[in-house]
Amino acid sequence: MLPYNESHNRKGVLWLLTINNLVKQRGNHEILSGISFKARPGRVTGFLGPNGAGKSSTLRILLGLDRATSGSALIDGKPFAELQNPLSTVGAALDGFGAHRMRTGRAHLRWIARAAGLPRSRVEEVLEIVGLTDAAGKRVGTYSLGMGRRLGMAAALLGDPEILILDEPVNGLDPEGIRWIRTFLRERAASGKTVLLSSHLMGELAETVDDVVIINRGKVVANGTLEEVIGSHSTLEEAFFALTTEHAGAVV
Amino acid sequence: MMVSSSRKITSILGSELDKLVTLPLILRTLMATFIVNVVLTAAFTSANLQGTTGAQSILDTGLASMGYLQAGFIILGILATCSEYTGGQIRTTLIVIPWRGFQLSTKHLALAVITVPMAFIMAASGVLYAFIMMKDTAAGIETGTVIRTVIGATGYLTLTTLLSAAVGALFKRTTPALVVLLGYYFIVSPLMRNYLPRIKNYSPDTAGSYMYMPLSTDEINALTVMQGTGILLLWTLLFITVAIILYRRRDA
Amino acid sequence: MRAFNAELSKLFSLPGIWLAFLIGACAPAIIAALDSMAEKDDILAGVSTRLSEVGLIGLGAGVQGIIILGVLAVSSEYLTESSESGGGNQITTSLTAVSSRLQFLLAKAGAVAVISILLFVVAIVTTMSATKLILGEYAPVFEASKLVGVGCYWTFTALLAFGMTVLTKNGIIPLAVLIINSSVVTISYLLTKVTKLAFYLPDRAGMDMFMSDGYHTPITGGFIMFAWVTVLFIVAAIVFHRRDVAS
Repeated sequence: MLPYNESHNRKGVLWLLTINNLVKQRGNHEILSGISFKARPGRVTGFLGPNGAGKSSTLRILLGLDRATSGSALIDGKPFAELQNPLSTVGAALDGFGAHRMRTGRAHLRWIARAAGLPRSRVEEVLEIVGLTDAAGKRVGTYSLGMGRRLGMAAALLGDPEILILDEPVNGLDPEGIRWIRTFLRERAASGKTVLLSSHLMGELAETVDDVVIINRGKVVANGTLEEVIGSHSTLEEAFFALTTEHAGAVV
Repeated sequence: MMVSSSRKITSILGSELDKLVTLPLILRTLMATFIVNVVLTAAFTSANLQGTTGAQSILDTGLASMGYLQAGFIILGILATCSEYTGGQIRTTLIVIPWRGFQLSTKHLALAVITVPMAFIMAASGVLYAFIMMKDTAAGIETGTVIRTVIGATGYLTLTTLLSAAVGALFKRTTPALVVLLGYYFIVSPLMRNYLPRIKNYSPDTAGSYMYMPLSTDEINALTVMQGTGILLLWTLLFITVAIILYRRRDA
Repeated sequence: MRAFNAELSKLFSLPGIWLAFLIGACAPAIIAALDSMAEKDDILAGVSTRLSEVGLIGLGAGVQGIIILGVLAVSSEYLTESSESGGGNQITTSLTAVSSRLQFLLAKAGAVAVISILLFVVAIVTTMSATKLILGEYAPVFEASKLVGVGCYWTFTALLAFGMTVLTKNGIIPLAVLIINSSVVTISYLLTKVTKLAFYLPDRAGMDMFMSDGYHTPITGGFIMFAWVTVLFIVAAIVFHRRDVAS
């Protein structure tokens, strides 16, 4: 579906994400206390946890935005900043728009494409993929939450990356958008790429992910395939609450 | 770590230029600065024609508004770096270009590319206006001196812009950077000139002003053009270095 | 009254406001101290002609803090630069909480005016202590009428900054214009060289409230500046009432 596949694929490389004993302190507060997990190629890994559990912090460290107090977060065995072509290796859409409000959506994507040495035609392609072509000439400040997410996705897809890292991708999307993103992520994984997405919405995720990592208060509380994590619980949601709620026993 | 192939430098420089050019605030600042400068020069010229102020020569009058003109360039510099922090654009930037020191230096370079012609046009237009209005009254004027002075003014404005950009990168927020810089250039520095005359020549603005001030010999501790340029250049490089060191260290 | 209290608490919870307080409370004292030191010899010898102005100049510079206060009070409603998600449009929340826009604007202006008066009182205390400390018994005694003049000048300037920011929705322009214009050689001073009309500009007229050898009498100066504030406030209120919040 995307014309860039061949040129960027390096054979024999496993596009693995390895998070190893990650600790992050902010002031006296420990946000992450020893997070370890892997995200494998060809699979969609769901990174779940309640608000403030440390999902975004982990992803920010993985992307080299924040520094870890100790531990490592590696992409194909390297820290993010040592990648040769970051944009065509990792596509990331974090929370928020990630764009200046006064710029148009198209201008935003153009400077990114320019930085990575991609042709301008690629910008139109990703606008088409995320369905933002009509709004591309408008200022980002006028976008709705859903349009902002689509713009973030478009930026993530510009380099047709081997790895997709998405923070709360379904946040703010309408039902049609959610369905689109599910199918899209499944297709990416099916073509052998690595997908890592964080979310606090269980229902939306159960049908999309292969592997699940659940964190709570900076610690991994469950890690495995979808079936393993659900285990004896009836749904992923049940398993999630059982693992993340302190009074889980009392409720059940 | 730093991939310094020339192709990469060109594309990142191009991308930083794109960012500056597509930001409407930058364009508006430049236009407003130009208009205000012409109006002020007109006011100074008309005041001079009435003989109410001391300055005589065309150069003095044409560049009399420099004190105010620099405000526009200070704002330009601050906007260039602080705009990264609007709408979380900084995350996008660092995901696309994770080499922080390289990225911030390239931004300053891109800013200089835009500032040099703009500063030249504005400085020259002031002198030109004064020349047209005063050519009957003023004494003969040397073309060489005019060119040297206008180039000096261009250099001063460019270095001031870069210094402001570095300060903007330190503060990350427009308002505090604006308050500190304008407060220094328009309140603290003039007071310092009165109360602490011994160190005034080492301040970036007073030292820098010798870059375009006509050599008047009546001041005892005047600096030469080269000394002035050197001191301002040192200040600018110092601030850029500090900004880069901090930028590399802190969480985005 | 509830809206007024809400505005006060909003202002006090802004991080930038502490910068405004710091400048407003300390800058006058520091400048007065420097000025006193520079003039000390003359004053002790009894030949200084500027004795009565020593503290006033500092108080005039403290107006910087007040400018920041007036600008931040409004610009914070519109855009907060934050590395996290999107610029917060607090204005939407504010206008849902206080339904009448005029009431909202009046409450905010009231909060700004009250804080600027309080800050002025603090500034007087710090400035007087600074001059006392350096000049001892020679320290100038401020005339009450001049102090009232400076106080009015502070409050009016805060409201001018406030009104300008309502119109621009962005702090850059009002901050730039007002800070530059409170420089030693102000633009309006320059304009007075070109046309006498410039004496009717708000800052020129306002300064006549406390500077000697003014163009206007203190009372006239105060009225002219107040007229500017009123007109600006009415225009701001009309514009604010008419425009869409999100635009």
